[in-house]
Amino acid sequence: MSLPFKNSKHILFTLGAVLFFVYGFIGCKQSYSPAIADKVDFNYDIRPILVQKCYLCHGPDPSSRKGNLRLDTYEGATALTKNGEKAIDPIHSEKSLLLYRINHKDPEVLMPTPESKLKLTEREIALLKKWIEQGAEWKPYWAFIAPHETEEVKKYSGNPIDYFIEKKLKENDIDPQGQADKNALIRRVSYLLTGLPPTPEAIQKYIADDSKESYTKIVDEYLQSPQYGERWARHWMDLVRYAETKGHEFDYTISGAWRYRDYLIRAFNDDVPYDQLVREQLAGDLLDKPRVNAKTKINESALGTVFYTMAEGTHSPVDVRKDEADRIDNMIDVTAKTFQALTVSCARCHDHKFDPISAKDYYSFYGIMEGTRFSPIQATNNATIPKAIQLNALNDSIREHIITTWFKKRDVVSSATKPVSIAKSISTAPAKMDTSVMVLGDFTNADLSGWKSDGVAFGDATTLGDPVFNEQGKLMALQGGKASSRKLATGIFGALRSPDFKIDKNFIAVMAAGMNASIRIVIDNFQLISYPIYGNMDQHIDSEIFKKYVFDVTMWKGHKAYIEILTGVFENHVFKMKKGSYVEAQYAIAYNSESTSLKKIPQQPSNLDQSLHALTDKNATVSDVHFINTLIQSNKLERQFSNLNSKFQIRKKLQQSFADSIEFFDGVVDGYGKNSPVFIRGSHMQLSPTPVNRAFIHAVKVSKPDFNVEGSGRLQLANAITDPNNTLTSRVMVNRIWHHLFGRGIVETVDNFGMQGKLPSHPELLDYLAIKFQRDHYSIKKTIRDIMLSDAFKRSAVTNDNDKESDPSNIFLAHYPVRRLEAEAIRDAMLAASGELKQSMYGKPVLVHITSFMNGRGKPDTSGPIDGDKRRSIYIEVRRNFLDPVMSTFDRPNPATAFGRRTVTNVPAQSLILLNDPFVIQEATVMAKNLLSAKQNQFSDRVNWVYQRSLARNASEDEIADAQEYMKRLKDTYVTQRIKGNLEMLVWKDYIHSIFNLKEFIYLN
Amino acid sequence: MTYHKHPIQRPVSRREMLDICKCGFGSVAMVSLFGSLLPSCSSATRGKDELMSHLTRGSTAPGFIPKAKNIIFLYMDGGVSQVDSFDPKPRLAKENGLDPSTLFKVDATQFNNVGKILKSPWSFSKHGECGMDVSELFPHIATCVDDMALIRSMVSNFPEHTNANYFLHTGSGLQGRPSMGAWVNYGLGSENNNLPGYVLLDGGLIPPGGLDNFKNGFLPAAFQSSILHTGAEPIANIRPVDSIAGIQEEKLAFLKRRDKTLLSSLGAADEVESAISNYEMAYKMQSSIPELTDFKEESEATKKLYGLDSQDPHTRSYGAQCLMARRLVERGVRFIELTCPSVGNGADRWDQHVNLKLGHENNAHAVDQPIAGLLKDLKLRGLLDETLVVWSGEFGRTPFAQGEDGRDHNPSAFSMWMAGGGVKGGTIYGTTDDYGYRVVDNPVSIHDLHATMLHLLGVDHKQLTFRFGGRDFRLTDVHGNVVKDILA
Repeated sequence: MSLPFKNSKHILFTLGAVLFFVYGFIGCKQSYSPAIADKVDFNYDIRPILVQKCYLCHGPDPSSRKGNLRLDTYEGATALTKNGEKAIDPIHSEKSLLLYRINHKDPEVLMPTPESKLKLTEREIALLKKWIEQGAEWKPYWAFIAPHETEEVKKYSGNPIDYFIEKKLKENDIDPQGQADKNALIRRVSYLLTGLPPTPEAIQKYIADDSKESYTKIVDEYLQSPQYGERWARHWMDLVRYAETKGHEFDYTISGAWRYRDYLIRAFNDDVPYDQLVREQLAGDLLDKPRVNAKTKINESALGTVFYTMAEGTHSPVDVRKDEADRIDNMIDVTAKTFQALTVSCARCHDHKFDPISAKDYYSFYGIMEGTRFSPIQATNNATIPKAIQLNALNDSIREHIITTWFKKRDVVSSATKPVSIAKSISTAPAKMDTSVMVLGDFTNADLSGWKSDGVAFGDATTLGDPVFNEQGKLMALQGGKASSRKLATGIFGALRSPDFKIDKNFIAVMAAGMNASIRIVIDNFQLISYPIYGNMDQHIDSEIFKKYVFDVTMWKGHKAYIEILTGVFENHVFKMKKGSYVEAQYAIAYNSESTSLKKIPQQPSNLDQSLHALTDKNATVSDVHFINTLIQSNKLERQFSNLNSKFQIRKKLQQSFADSIEFFDGVVDGYGKNSPVFIRGSHMQLSPTPVNRAFIHAVKVSKPDFNVEGSGRLQLANAITDPNNTLTSRVMVNRIWHHLFGRGIVETVDNFGMQGKLPSHPELLDYLAIKFQRDHYSIKKTIRDIMLSDAFKRSAVTNDNDKESDPSNIFLAHYPVRRLEAEAIRDAMLAASGELKQSMYGKPVLVHITSFMNGRGKPDTSGPIDGDKRRSIYIEVRRNFLDPVMSTFDRPNPATAFGRRTVTNVPAQSLILLNDPFVIQEATVMAKNLLSAKQNQFSDRVNWVYQRSLARNASEDEIADAQEYMKRLKDTYVTQRIKGNLEMLVWKDYIHSIFNLKEFIYLN
Repeated sequence: MTYHKHPIQRPVSRREMLDICKCGFGSVAMVSLFGSLLPSCSSATRGKDELMSHLTRGSTAPGFIPKAKNIIFLYMDGGVSQVDSFDPKPRLAKENGLDPSTLFKVDATQFNNVGKILKSPWSFSKHGECGMDVSELFPHIATCVDDMALIRSMVSNFPEHTNANYFLHTGSGLQGRPSMGAWVNYGLGSENNNLPGYVLLDGGLIPPGGLDNFKNGFLPAAFQSSILHTGAEPIANIRPVDSIAGIQEEKLAFLKRRDKTLLSSLGAADEVESAISNYEMAYKMQSSIPELTDFKEESEATKKLYGLDSQDPHTRSYGAQCLMARRLVERGVRFIELTCPSVGNGADRWDQHVNLKLGHENNAHAVDQPIAGLLKDLKLRGLLDETLVVWSGEFGRTPFAQGEDGRDHNPSAFSMWMAGGGVKGGTIYGTTDDYGYRVVDNPVSIHDLHATMLHLLGVDHKQLTFRFGGRDFRLTDVHGNVVKDILA
């Protein structure tokens, strides 16, 4: 047999070596052996050992705890064992059982056990011993205690950031590099703030500017440029798994995802305070004072909630409850990672193995998400809201006028109509009530039966008692009760949703009428209602005559559901509304046998006085209205109101001109407060007997941790995260900013501040930045500016052997780290250099270009242009199942979960793209044409023209000479091969193509 | 070497890696490119101890000897019906037409259109020395049964294609996790540095769930799949735009000169250094791909074996994919997956919700001869011992009809088989009930399947981890047991 390797050692070696390498490569742990400090620090020296080597069996999760010993709390670690010993006996290392066990030779006694394959190093053992001897001081985990203010920094004359950086450099005897040259600096600042190379004009201006403030000026200019938002929005989009489709089987559209992208660009450009950004994304629909765009009148806050709808979506899941749990899990995962850098979703099946996050914490989060409902939200309705208010007021005044008129004559009428025959005249035979009928919504009364009304259409009451006039303005009757979306006019958006209920009957029926409207049964919050199983759960209404819309829900008995009545329809899961659409409903019921209706038996009427009062107070009953209607019919009450004619006319005009916005995005609205049970071992089939209250992660202390409110609790969640005492929020965000500017965070694991994450390299600096961030009212731009103005940021990228020995990973930032540009920056740079880049911002995405290698269900009918219509990469559609291969190959993350740190890989496919992709060739060709038509006659000027646009500098003499030699060889080759045509153009195109392939082009230094 | 006074853990730098492996620059770059590290690096001097201590911490258990070095995964998209292929159930014929709910508890199905018990339209007969039952659908594969280990007790967790596809490919029903091919390459690397380590032979049908079935997820892009097509451009951007001889060479020489100058000016930044060698690799790939896809050196007998002379264009097309798979194995590509050809007639994939007979027959005809050809050819060349061939769909089908003449999805029982590298030929493992509806004995989960595949490659599935977002992820999550009974 011919094995790949001669013996198993080799394969062991290979496997291990690769693991080893990849760990190194992506920046995972590899320990070195620094000397042991005089004073051992619990958080920096001891906890990492306990977490990595002990917590799997002695950590916070009781289900995997062995020997009843926990080492994640001081109490647990120092508790008396049943033999009267202590694992850790402070000061007494000789009495500490832990040291005894970790030093033992007998594999039966040794800890960690040989089977665990975990092994303590000599150094770790020495650390543990010294720490115990020094008193085994236990400190709370660094990320859960408030940032600490360093006093000494106030005495420092320079940029405070440099105080911290220099301190570490000194401690480690490392000399920092000097400042980078101006060309490198402007290129660095331009790319990091805008994602684009600097223009030749900007470079020239900066080089020529000798003033002291020249650097500060360019930082400020780039911070103010609109392209800043385009770059920094994209950073955020990595966290929220931005996509324009839902992936899975058919890759359905996420409506208006691009509006959220634009929202982010605007928000970063306007430097919206970070705490506001957090609140908007988590609860933008619930804010008392939504942020309205001054120019466009768009409700920006509501757009923030698209954050929730960025998730993938399953087509027709058979187990819809499990599907809901998976979706919510993703929402929890992304929310906790993005805003708190915590891996809460690890606690889905059991308490977290390493962090103090329990399964209870997870399910208290779950309830918040479960009580959140997805909904089409109008992209803008600010133009219509004033009209709606006006119409509403007009209707009220008409109604008041009638009632006032009637009140004046009530005595006359009352005496003439004794409360006698009315009961008889309306008596229908009492309906045979099916005892199994459950009323889910009854709109025959004045109130909406506890349903939620979103949008303005349904208002907050039924039509009960609304006057109806004929064309001539004669009052015909007061309306009976029904929920109606056309109380003001037709064509107004509204959604009416029931509370959650448990399906325990075979059928649900809604008595309704309308045009271009729909009723949906939303089971376990499942939105993508369609064939083969769910088709019947979405029924369209296109009949002005009231009909019973019946839903067979036999299959989903035991599931929770709600009914949704909408003034539009979903077409391929995109909500569409037309002019003139409306919907009305009388009731919704659940029952087992077919022919059941809800019949109302009016009660004994009251007297007119009472009925009119009730009508005024808008709480008239069905019998009040019926009673008054009989009086109207018999002309006992006045029916002509000449004073109202002008009002009728105004109303008609208003109604006709009422054009509600019919553009929507997928956002969220609040459902009903819900506490979820714990799913035992993560299974939705095994629930804990009692639910857990919605609350914030208990390890993170905030002022109001309990969320037991009527709504979902999202607003409370947003408040807890933006609570000034939350020890994570500011640290996490300033660390992300640092990461984007230096290529590595102060905490390298930007999405994990938990115990499995990395410790901060500069903890005092992190705290300084976090505290300042809050004092600066969460200004992201100010934080970026502070960092960019530091000496540390301006340092040259050149390294020397000395540095490489003492700090091979450049943790202490003796020099500026060289890094590859992101996928978007590489593509955009080619467009910018060629001169083709369109600067237009915002709007619907450019369709993604579909290559012959992109296939599968849900494939778009049309492929986008190969050059993305020459727009910046952020405007090119992100279809989950048809991701742009260029972006993916250059490491744009797959939109599955929060990705705060892109991996940077190095694969031949990248070289193949730069060498052979038609887009790259196209841009090189365009740039060559532009070059030759620019009036540059000297060869060296031409080379510099290319260098300035591509590399933000002039070419050296050597480079010019090399270019000349190179192009001569190219030309000779073409001549030898008898190639005809414009050889000059061809050779310059080749040259520019080569420049695009230079490492310097795709790297930042 | 001086060490840190600051007790911070830090990654190893590329420079240190270079020092660890005194094999020169190129082979280390390979690691990042295709994830391989050549065995010859074991002559490392300094750093070797560190490396070895790392290995003992996270390495494989003693006795973990790799049997296979490559995997060919024959993906039967849509779900082959087990009761019509490898799991005969005479009772279906006896009770044909009965209402299944009177016979057993029927689970919710994808289409909720449960019909009557449906007998198999095909008859079964015993084959090989082992006497394995195979239906008439697979007359060619039936001749290879003594090399195959059949598992009749596969169970999936999902009755929907997409979830089940992600589950089969990534060990998770969620979108966005790394595919098994990416895991294998992350663990073992490629043996050929001019070809990617994970190749998807796109036969025409990308399964529901799309290309995410084959992605690297959170693993570095070095482990992503490369899609290989037949035709002029087999891999994206592989055809040099510089078709005129000498031009591309000139370009590459220029790049090398300039990049080296950059390197020295920066004091040789490691990141840039390795990116440079990427071009050599890309250049070599450009020439190795045409060589790979050119079948002219294959004999007529070989081509015939794979069905390249078949009347059925789909057999020819799948046959070419199978032959390509063998050629990739010969060149050391670790993981090769084949997707199904589009047979048309409304019978694409094995997903016969209607017209089972026509659909399964067309699909079987397309793949049967090529697969048997592949097994025989591998064996003939002595490659079958070190190549694991895996044949599986994402789930099975119901023993009762969907509507009149189709079958719905059934994740509770299905059949799959493996052959070659370390597999005990002629084995039949696991049992289903009398209807082939549920597993009654020795259930094998997708995690078990993955654990077994990794085991055969010499990898302990519990040790193959990658830390992402604060968690150590595995292909097998927290599950998976090696199916020992099918191992040779």
